[in-house]
Amino acid sequence: MKRTVGIITLFVIALLVAVGAGATYVVDETEQVVITQFGDPVGEPISEPGLKFKIPFIQTVHRFDQRFLEWNGDANEVPTKDKRFIEVDTYARWRITDPLVFYQRLRNESGAQSRLDDIIDGATRDAVASHELLELVRASNREPVVETDIPEEDSSPDLEKIETGRPSIMSSIEDEARRQTEDLGIQVLDVRFKRINYNDQVRKKVYDRMIAERERIAERYRSEGRGEAAEIEGTKERELDRVLSEAERKAEEIRGKADAKATDIYAEAYNRDPEFFEFLRTTESYPEALKGKSWLLMSTGGDFMKYLRDSTPEQ
Amino acid sequence: MPDFNTSGWSPPDINLSRRTIALIAIGGVVVVTLFTMVFQIPADSIGVVMRFGEPVREVGPGLHVKAPVGVEEVRIVPTQRQRKVEFGYRTQSAAVDSSYKREGYEHESLMLTGDLNVVDVQWAVQYRIEDAQRYLFEVRDVRETFRYMSQAVMREVVGDRTVSEVLTVGRAEVADTVKKSLSELCDDYDIGLRVEQVNLQDITPPDPVKPSFNEVNEAQQEKSELINQAKAAYNKAIPAAKGEGKRKVEQAEGYAVQRVNRAQGEAARFNSLYEAYRKAPEVTRRRIYIETLSEVLPKVDRKIVIDEGASDVVPLLPLGDMRGMPSPNSNGGSK
Repeated sequence: MKRTVGIITLFVIALLVAVGAGATYVVDETEQVVITQFGDPVGEPISEPGLKFKIPFIQTVHRFDQRFLEWNGDANEVPTKDKRFIEVDTYARWRITDPLVFYQRLRNESGAQSRLDDIIDGATRDAVASHELLELVRASNREPVVETDIPEEDSSPDLEKIETGRPSIMSSIEDEARRQTEDLGIQVLDVRFKRINYNDQVRKKVYDRMIAERERIAERYRSEGRGEAAEIEGTKERELDRVLSEAERKAEEIRGKADAKATDIYAEAYNRDPEFFEFLRTTESYPEALKGKSWLLMSTGGDFMKYLRDSTPEQ
Repeated sequence: MPDFNTSGWSPPDINLSRRTIALIAIGGVVVVTLFTMVFQIPADSIGVVMRFGEPVREVGPGLHVKAPVGVEEVRIVPTQRQRKVEFGYRTQSAAVDSSYKREGYEHESLMLTGDLNVVDVQWAVQYRIEDAQRYLFEVRDVRETFRYMSQAVMREVVGDRTVSEVLTVGRAEVADTVKKSLSELCDDYDIGLRVEQVNLQDITPPDPVKPSFNEVNEAQQEKSELINQAKAAYNKAIPAAKGEGKRKVEQAEGYAVQRVNRAQGEAARFNSLYEAYRKAPEVTRRRIYIETLSEVLPKVDRKIVIDEGASDVVPLLPLGDMRGMPSPNSNGGSK
């Protein structure tokens, strides 16, 4: 008897606990909830945090996140308007703005993620395909800073001008995604390019181009070096010629002046008696001219040997 | 929060009265409840106390009391701790001699520059949780979102610069701009984080292109070397040539002095001689003639004196001996 009472008491307590648990629920700061009654939504969605009440067993709580949620796209290979294949990796932020509509249309988050995949990927493809790569990469028409110690780095010192840039393309994707999701109870807040890269084949070609460009620059440095060296070499030779020829000219001038002066001096002296000068100069030269293995043939008819023949003075 | 209420505790298998069991059970519940009312916050964190899911207060480091489990819960957020996210590399072991792993993260580090080249940028962002409530309640999966944000910002900034800019002069400017834009984006996203530092680790050309970038550096050096060599040769040759030129001029000066002096000397001698000659021309002439001959004759190797009458002497001469000699037509004296 006592035993039965105890069992009944326990049963009642368990029932009360179960009803109490079923009648209360907690809404977290990060959550918003939709209450359904046999699958039919009742009342407004609740986003205020706190302890809430509902009819146990009959009403069910569906919880949805109230925070910004992330969406991460797969890297897509998309051709740009200028026919370059690039990999575009996007991310987006979204939040559930109307949990009721969200619950009705998408059921849960994974449903939402797959809808967002379709919508944002599509919008991204469209945007990429209708813009040139340069517009996707660049954000503004800023002036690049150029190294000052290497004046002409002609690898493309100026960035080409663009009409639209990355930010406006991103916001156009965002607008498009927002437009397509507005009746789904969600709001897309931000779509951004996480990564834009060449695909593997294009990348190889780009590397080749970069290598060729660097080699061109290197070659230019070398030939500039050779050119300037040759110029200095040329200057050197010109300078050498100038210095030496000037010296020679000067030397010749000095010699000429001296010769002229000497000639004047000689002439002034010798003009006093040219015949005597000739006699003197000629006789002076005989000893030099006739020395060594010369033969001298002398006739006794001559002046010098005449006394060998006859000692009487000449008439 | 660990939940002590549900720990599998069963009454010991001893014979006790019902009353004692009930007391022990009630006492146990009370102890466990008291346990969940006390909590500790570490020095680098703050705690956000949630009552039925609603944040009601923030508490600093130390020991605190809250309502028991089921009513209040606490979420601990390390607001003082600096955190770091790395891109393009991962620190393997952080020590005095840190080691890094770079392979396999190229997808993070390779990016396009504004002139459509590719650079390899490795960087790290240091950040702190600035606002615990925003951090907890505004954005789900803060870390992943922050990684996305950092990458998007870095690529946008690099995408607006030339490859040479990013590799050389623009480095610091890139870090600054990324920090600024990322901070703005954090505010924009209400993510509750504060960017403390953006560190650019390595900005390099992609590996396959690196050698040609080095080649450019080498070529630059080669250029200045060639120029220096040429300048050295110039500096070596020109002063030497100037010296040589001066020597030539000096030589000419020497010649000039010598020539003039000699002329003056000879002229003076002639003049003196002439003065003397004029006093006795005939005798002087003869004297000079004889003196000359007497000077010449000893120096001449062979002398032949022939008589005036002997007309044809040439056939008598031993011509064989005379071969190679100057022509033997020197007659005995001009006068």
